[in-house]
Amino acid sequence: MIAGIRLFVIAFVVLSVIYVYLSIRQRWQARNELEAEFDAGGVEGDRDTYIEEGMREYQSSLRRKLILGVYVVPLLVVATLIYVMNYM
Amino acid sequence: MRYVKWTLIFLVALSAFAFLNYNLPQKDIVRIADTYEKRVDPGENTWFWGSVDSGNAAGVNRDVFFIQAIQTNGRPMVYRNEDTGWGWPPYFKFDTSNLQAEAADLKSTKEAPQWVAVRHYGWRNEFLSIYPNAVAVWPVAGPDVTMIPWFNIIVLVLLALILLRLYRMVQRFRERRIDPMLDDMNQAWDRVEDHADAAGKRASGFWGRLIGRRK
Repeated sequence: MIAGIRLFVIAFVVLSVIYVYLSIRQRWQARNELEAEFDAGGVEGDRDTYIEEGMREYQSSLRRKLILGVYVVPLLVVATLIYVMNYM
Repeated sequence: MRYVKWTLIFLVALSAFAFLNYNLPQKDIVRIADTYEKRVDPGENTWFWGSVDSGNAAGVNRDVFFIQAIQTNGRPMVYRNEDTGWGWPPYFKFDTSNLQAEAADLKSTKEAPQWVAVRHYGWRNEFLSIYPNAVAVWPVAGPDVTMIPWFNIIVLVLLALILLRLYRMVQRFRERRIDPMLDDMNQAWDRVEDHADAAGKRASGFWGRLIGRRK
């Protein structure tokens, strides 16, 4: 079991690095998109408030939560492998 | 330089192929002749043996299950049957003893063969005394059933996609960062060469005057 715990700890650290990288990148992308959208014209109001509001929307969006797949997908893969290998 | 480059590429490709060939699952159709266990003391072939059974303490040597089989072409193949546990390769195999029971149950004679499929990874090598590790056995209808390796197809396609993406990223990075840098360096080097040429001309003029030789 010790080996299993060690595997989970290492995997958690590695996946966390990927998670942080992806969330920073995606936030940056979302901001870029908002800026481009505003600069294309046709949007009323102040540029900063528009972007701030868009980012607040992004904060609670499904798109942001999908990055959690970085943890969920490997966990599901390992669980499936354990089931298929040992119980099927 | 070109030979060095292509040799390196060839070596990398060869190791990648060997790595995948060793670690990905393959299926054999065999007839199980017998099962046994024997003590092993892995030495220089340690890499090709599993670690201790999941949950047990590590010792110097241990007993390992083996499955003796005859392939469809009549030649022998011997599989080891070991836990991979939580380690590499990531098969998460903990049911070694159950697998040994199933394998023993599928034993058959030459006269009345019961063909079975063995899923395994690894290599058989007589010189290193290494054996492929069986991960599953199940009975099949006959010696020539076809099985499509879906798992390997999916894994290899995913791997190819990841490699392609990495290649693209490196290429883009090169275009954006390294090529401009090289251009700068080339220009700088050109300037250096111009300077050197001019200095060389001046110097040869000086020496020419000194020695009295004219170009």
